[in-house]
Amino acid sequence: MPDNAPVDPFAAWRDIVSQWEKSVNSLANREMASDQFSGSMNQMMNVMLRAQQSVGDAMIKYLAALNLPSRADLVALGEQLGSIESQLSRIAVAIERQAAQSAAAQPAASPSSSPPPMSPARRSPPRTKRPPPPPAHS
Amino acid sequence: MSAGTKTTEAESLADRIAKEVERTIARSIKGVEYIASPAPTMGATPKDLVLKDGTLNLYHYHPLSSEIYRVPLLMVMATTNKGYVLDLTPGQSLVEFLLRSGYDVYMIDWSPPRPDEKKLRFADYTARFIPDCVKVVKERSEQDEVSLLGYCMGGVLSSVYTASHPDDGVKNLVCFTTPVDFSQMTLFQKWADRRFFDVDRLVDASGNVPSELLFQGFQMLRPASQVAGQASLWDNMWNDDYVKSYRMFDRWGADMLPLAGEYFRETTKKLMWENGLLHGTLEVGGRRVDLRNITAPLLHVVAEHDHIVPRDASKPLIELVGSADKEEVVLKGGHISVAAGANASKRMWPKLDAWLSTRSL
Repeated sequence: MPDNAPVDPFAAWRDIVSQWEKSVNSLANREMASDQFSGSMNQMMNVMLRAQQSVGDAMIKYLAALNLPSRADLVALGEQLGSIESQLSRIAVAIERQAAQSAAAQPAASPSSSPPPMSPARRSPPRTKRPPPPPAHS
Repeated sequence: MSAGTKTTEAESLADRIAKEVERTIARSIKGVEYIASPAPTMGATPKDLVLKDGTLNLYHYHPLSSEIYRVPLLMVMATTNKGYVLDLTPGQSLVEFLLRSGYDVYMIDWSPPRPDEKKLRFADYTARFIPDCVKVVKERSEQDEVSLLGYCMGGVLSSVYTASHPDDGVKNLVCFTTPVDFSQMTLFQKWADRRFFDVDRLVDASGNVPSELLFQGFQMLRPASQVAGQASLWDNMWNDDYVKSYRMFDRWGADMLPLAGEYFRETTKKLMWENGLLHGTLEVGGRRVDLRNITAPLLHVVAEHDHIVPRDASKPLIELVGSADKEEVVLKGGHISVAAGANASKRMWPKLDAWLSTRSL
């Protein structure tokens, strides 16, 4: 920029924001790399986890006294439902795949330990693609 | 200075102020639109879910080319983030670029692990999920070879899998910003210091590690950037392209995934504390992982200004692998922008295509 160029207040403001961001990040990174910061941060997390554990334990007792299911009970139920749903989905896909294979009169696929694919393979374009030739140098 | 020059400068400044006034009005109007409008649609390239196993989703993208390369490409997303960062929007999507360039593209994308998946270990990812997906890709494509492309921790998982399954037909391995020397991830290393960080207590208490905790960890790497980003957003509110891009990355950044508890515990202990991948002491599923067992051609793309995986953390990968054909490319950009930013389409994607196309025949 020439020396006699007028001061652009908007560009100056953007520059200030950018400089502020760099300085604060740099300063914070230095502070956060200290043992003291790491110790305090983890201490705070441990306190929160302990508090969370205590509240959770108290809530379980409270819900049990009211004869209501706890979050853990509902999660366990959800897991069982999810597992049943997953099994049903696998069975449905396996049946569909077997039906498609029978219809196409192809030999059955070998048993697989992995879950069967969810969606049948779609017809793919020919695998004949070659990389374009490199550009000629003049 | 002549009177004519002074007049021009005054006009120039007056024009500049007029432009700013226009922009301020546009900012106000578009600011209201911003608040009222829905978030942009992302990850919309047509695809089929071809395998689902709890947290694992394997997608197969519909081809966009009349002929494709022989070897299919399987992308492995990082376990902390959603895969749509590689398929943001038409014109700014690595997936779309690869499809149009003639690749048969699959992606391993992760869902939040269910509470019962807190027991998933590192081996479940590298010795079960990835091998299952490779098998499905081979079956569907009727090919016996697959190229793997891993992003960040997806690169770690892909490298560990390739090293421990040398006969599985990995034709090429591409890693984006993949950490190997975890001692060089200085801030994460400090925060996970074993003298202070009780990973067992965290995992035992929370099951899966909450995404909010991980999000805060990433945010703390650059604490001022969110505020500066919002100031910059306001400044550029008149610019539709900027606003769209900001919204996409902002949404993706906040859309983090929880991590399976045991996987997090193992990652902390074996990678962060013991640096097992670098030292060759990492054992997964009872097998020692030696990166020298990777003999497939390797391309490692790293970012010059990566604040998440610093250059020193990713540098050793290229030296450690046993591949004769290997290349490291250092590109301008950050951890995310190198793969998905506006300039990635000019810098990284053509480089990736040039490298992979000749090796996908």
